Amino acid sequence: MKLESPAIIGVGRTNFGEHYERDPESLIDEAGLQALDSAGITRKDLDACYLSDYFLQVTNKIGLEEGFFSELLELHVPMEKTRSFSSALLNACHAVQSGKYDTVLVGGMEKMTDRWDKIRDDLMLLEDPWSYYAGCTPEANHELLLKGYIKKYGISGEQLQKFYMALAKISVKNHQNATNNPLAQYTSPITVDTVLKARTRACKALGLFDFAPISDGASALILASPEAAKRFSDVPVHVLGSSSATDYITFPSREDRTGFISSTLAMHTALKQAKVDIKDIQIAELYDQSTLLEMISLEDLGFSRRGKAWLDIYRSCEDSCNFYEIDGSKLFVNCDGGLKADGNPLGATGGAQIFEVVKQLRGEAKSRQVEVDGESPRLGCVSELEGFGTKAYVHIFGRN
Amino acid sequence: MSSEPIQRRVSYIGDRLRGSQCTICGKEYIRGKNYCGNCGRKSFGKMLDIDFFYDKGTLEASTLVSQPTNRFVKMGSYIYGIVAFHDGKTRVPGRITDILIEEGKTDISCFDGKDVVPRFRRRHSVGRSDIIPTISLAFTPADGYYPHQQYEIVNPKKECETPGIVGYGVYTSKFRIKEGNMERSVPFIDEDAVTAAVEAGKLAMIHSGVDRYLINKIYVGSESNPYAVNPIASKVAQVLKLGNVEGHDGIRSVDAVDTEFACKAATSMFKDAASLVYYLKANNAYALTIGTDNSQAAPRSEVGGELDHFVGFGSAAFIFGMQDVIAEIEGWYSCTSDTPDFWRRDLEPYPRHGGRFTGEPAYFKHVIKACKTLMKQMNLQVEDVDYYVPHQPNLRFPVKVAQQLGFKEEQYMPGLKVGNFGNTYSGASPIGLAAVLDIAKPDERILLVSYGSGAGSDAYSFMTTSQVSEKKQRQKFTVSHQIENENLEYVDYHTYRRFKRGL
Repeated sequence: MKLESPAIIGVGRTNFGEHYERDPESLIDEAGLQALDSAGITRKDLDACYLSDYFLQVTNKIGLEEGFFSELLELHVPMEKTRSFSSALLNACHAVQSGKYDTVLVGGMEKMTDRWDKIRDDLMLLEDPWSYYAGCTPEANHELLLKGYIKKYGISGEQLQKFYMALAKISVKNHQNATNNPLAQYTSPITVDTVLKARTRACKALGLFDFAPISDGASALILASPEAAKRFSDVPVHVLGSSSATDYITFPSREDRTGFISSTLAMHTALKQAKVDIKDIQIAELYDQSTLLEMISLEDLGFSRRGKAWLDIYRSCEDSCNFYEIDGSKLFVNCDGGLKADGNPLGATGGAQIFEVVKQLRGEAKSRQVEVDGESPRLGCVSELEGFGTKAYVHIFGRN
Repeated sequence: MSSEPIQRRVSYIGDRLRGSQCTICGKEYIRGKNYCGNCGRKSFGKMLDIDFFYDKGTLEASTLVSQPTNRFVKMGSYIYGIVAFHDGKTRVPGRITDILIEEGKTDISCFDGKDVVPRFRRRHSVGRSDIIPTISLAFTPADGYYPHQQYEIVNPKKECETPGIVGYGVYTSKFRIKEGNMERSVPFIDEDAVTAAVEAGKLAMIHSGVDRYLINKIYVGSESNPYAVNPIASKVAQVLKLGNVEGHDGIRSVDAVDTEFACKAATSMFKDAASLVYYLKANNAYALTIGTDNSQAAPRSEVGGELDHFVGFGSAAFIFGMQDVIAEIEGWYSCTSDTPDFWRRDLEPYPRHGGRFTGEPAYFKHVIKACKTLMKQMNLQVEDVDYYVPHQPNLRFPVKVAQQLGFKEEQYMPGLKVGNFGNTYSGASPIGLAAVLDIAKPDERILLVSYGSGAGSDAYSFMTTSQVSEKKQRQKFTVSHQIENENLEYVDYHTYRRFKRGL
């Protein structure tokens, strides 16, 4: 474990859901101030800001959000904008590692509900215009991935029933986790029956309760160089591995249509960078845009063996545990409720995932705190996607 | 879609599904590339342009989309999936079109693994003043109504002295409405006069085997062009890749023009096409003439709604040339008078008609005059004619006129298809002509008499050659195939109106 890497010294986020009355910039303001407070620094300590939003220009047309941020914080430091939070963090890490900056704010925001009526068109056009022109919807790609997976691994009959049940249990588990997360979009538990009924209603393998919602929200963190981290924080969480990979934009034209090679590659690099074994990772925040993606991510990232993730999930969830037992080791996944229940404001989602891992590693997750061998986890990982697996980001976090 | 240049680029690639292939490693790319990602720099200049326009793909995996995105909402539920071409060398996203999905009733699982054919269709809904987006990422099963057919260039064997028809194609949709003694062709929701023109043109290319580079003139006659200003012909020329492209500007050496004269907009240009290919200095080997219409009619409850009982949807394309002619043009006669019996004012969606005056002073007078004059000019008797093909707005008018002219049932019935497709306006008499050519033997005389409101009539005398039989095997999608087909789907009046209104 190399602890000379940049460290997160403070995190903050708004609650996710619908923020009808609020401006998008007020959301990032709230998250940013929280992060500054929790790091115990002031805005004047910031050397730069890395912001992210997936399509705020489309949904809210607010102009250059960096300018808004500058006005809010009365700061004139360099500010960059990326699409996903993980991407912002990756860039921030590079800058800190290069020695250019010591203290950086990484923040993400999104306000999707303002444009709920056109959001699926927007999302699909951003994901892949060519698929959009052919009639694809955000959900259709998940269903094709599902079909491809079932076909590849020859899952049928009773096994198939179990497979679908495993996916349903992912949703139930995530909603259950979110009951302990006051900032989550959905805080009520659901049952397997709810998931299955939604599938029946949609006449589909995946229903409403298999997919993450659209959300408004913002998240932020303060990244510091190892030296600065020592100065400001007693419990820094180090970014041990930070990596990304890219794949073709059009899902049908990719070589493998049963998973995301981008995730696999990103994880591979991140593990190498962090010099840790995947088995030592105790907590993971996976990008469960659908229940299927949580399952596929387990395989893509290398936690489960290919074609076996659903079995790992099915077995682990039989007695309603909140962790997956894979090859004898425990993996806590999406303790905050995941995208499914916590919410999915695209540009801020990664921030909330990191927020959770940081809180868990620091032992500050309160009622949803998980423990491994009597203490809070030491190693966690966050995976985030842009598009339908077009870009994958993996970050590995560790504490002293 | 936000701007015209994006629209044009997407159409350029998507309308014909263009791609490229690396001649070094064989890898195929959709959308076209200057170099191969695998082979890198050494592949510059070694990429081959390919397209999938006449190919057959396989639907590898599919899913039902029952909650489409906004621009696809009007399509209702549809099947979306991954289509593989060339044994999986290329994969594209695709929508299965021409299917009316009934939730819970339509078995969609049977589509996986099926061979599918790319179809040229409207892409999705847009605002009324926007450019209409089109694409060929729409597919239908190859074993369905519309079969897969290869386009093979056939070197001409015979130079003819008289110009005439070299090949032809008819396109009507697989949907029908059946009322009384008439069946009428109904466009699917993503079809219009433009898409039908492209499909008919494609079928004519397949039938003629003519090299597309040699077609330097295209006329498209229609009265239901979805644009007031913007030709159908340019779209057809672009999609069918007619004429040469010199340089890399994508501009084709082809003269494309739309014509309008109610239902005779296309037939009027037959003689122009024939004359053009006959005129050596024009250096124009072939000319394509298409009559296409998504025939418009007001709903029955509105003024002019009577037409709603008769209108159809279809297109017919004829390639004229001097080589391997299947039917020579022996002669023609055209006449015109200012008789406004049927009209549509600018900005009006539906045409109006002159009621009882559409018969005697309009259709009857002009058709009889044109037919009799041509027969007199050519010194023809009724028995010298094997087939008489009139314009066919309904079942009654053409029969009455045929009988007045002295033609017998066996002469006029083979070309009378209004009972099968409805009045396809500019496509009506051309579809009749195609139906007759489908069954004609060599050395038979066909008399075509079109009619266009406003008003005028063109009479043509065609004489078939031995090639008419030889080329028959090249076309599976014949008129009779489109009439007697197990895959035809019958829709109710409500669906018919919805489909006709389109996206």
